Amino acid sequence: MSDLNVLMKAPGAGFEAEDDFEQINALYLEKGWSDGLPIVPPTAERVERMLVYCDRPWDEQIGLVAPRYGVATPLRLAANAVMAGCRPEYFPVVMLAIEALCEEKFNLYSVNATTHPCTTLIIVNGPVAKELKMNSGHNAFGPGNQANATIGRAVRLAMLNIGGAIPGAGDMATFGSPAKFTFCAAENEDASPWEPLHVELGYARDVSAVTVFGAEGQHNMNDHESVTGVGLLKMMAGVVATTGANDLYHDGGPALIFGPEHAATIAKDGYSKADVKKYIFEHGRVPLGKLSDENIERRIRQWPVFKKEFMEAGPDRLIPVMKSPDNAYIIVLGGAGKHSAYIPTFGATQPVTRALKRRDGQFARSVEDFRKK
Amino acid sequence: MAELRRRGLVTAVIYSGPFLKLGKAQARTFGVPDLPLLEITHPLGGISLDGVKARAEQAAPQFAELVRGHIK
Repeated sequence: MSDLNVLMKAPGAGFEAEDDFEQINALYLEKGWSDGLPIVPPTAERVERMLVYCDRPWDEQIGLVAPRYGVATPLRLAANAVMAGCRPEYFPVVMLAIEALCEEKFNLYSVNATTHPCTTLIIVNGPVAKELKMNSGHNAFGPGNQANATIGRAVRLAMLNIGGAIPGAGDMATFGSPAKFTFCAAENEDASPWEPLHVELGYARDVSAVTVFGAEGQHNMNDHESVTGVGLLKMMAGVVATTGANDLYHDGGPALIFGPEHAATIAKDGYSKADVKKYIFEHGRVPLGKLSDENIERRIRQWPVFKKEFMEAGPDRLIPVMKSPDNAYIIVLGGAGKHSAYIPTFGATQPVTRALKRRDGQFARSVEDFRKK
Repeated sequence: MAELRRRGLVTAVIYSGPFLKLGKAQARTFGVPDLPLLEITHPLGGISLDGVKARAEQAAPQFAELVRGHIK
């Protein structure tokens, strides 16, 4: 079904309002339908324009969005994408991100409902990132790019309005994070000495994909002094080996964001992505003695993820933050500068990658593949 | 829990104060809006074992009362 006149007749599908920007925004804030920033009113005309880039029936179930397990349909997602300020051509990526987040192993219920400040980091790979003029360079996690800003925001609004991730009710984050407004960027594939993330995961370079993480905001890794790969990796392993991050306690998949200059120095010394992961796995470890006695007794000795490995361990015994080298996800991103970043996760969540495909199952080569002819 | 409730077993969810809204919302989501929610003092995490026992002592009589209500 892709007839808006029919779909809008369903109970609660829409409402009449004065065409007044301030009044509509006041209403959305009052009803709790906004992230607190002004929204673009999702009029029927705007929603229909968004759906021009959708090759599925507009009432088809894309996923169930926790914690309310609300049904995400193209129609509902399009309304949230309009509100976020998305251009219609961004819409296939918004839908793909939602599909990925709704996969069971992502554990969206816990990511949304937890007291932890995690949010949904969206990394875009492949040609669609350039087609949408996404920022993968300077300030890619910051402001200034419409696609980065609004794709991430559309996903957040969908989690609020479809998923019921409402602060204090469905989202119990102790203090949350500014990354909950939007956290979306493209990998800087051109500046990477390694294969892009989606290629590493088995897709062709000309396939487009999104990878989602149940992530914290990033922790910067500054090193202007090291001139060798091992020097940089030593510093990075030290950042990873931190107490208090959930990945220490769980079997999660944190992201290591390499600035292109750091990546070049490491790759020049012969390190592949697999070598980097192995190094971080072996050296990114926390001595048991860095934790309190209660934490050791209640968590490290008893928690199922540790399989009783530390039952008799003393204070010098090292706990790996990543439970296997492959738990780490390596992404090259950003512009000039001697910075990289560590992005810990909620821990009880696995990153999910999904390729952009048309409804017939073929890989999409362009967002124009989704456009109604 | 919702499935057990639907099967007619005596069920309840124990929550600490700030999580009441989440508990109610989840009960509605899973189709058991009348699922009993038993309150204990917040927090449950980061307290001594004596504190945990005290929370159990708060929850136990509430659950016993619930069970008694189901005995015919």
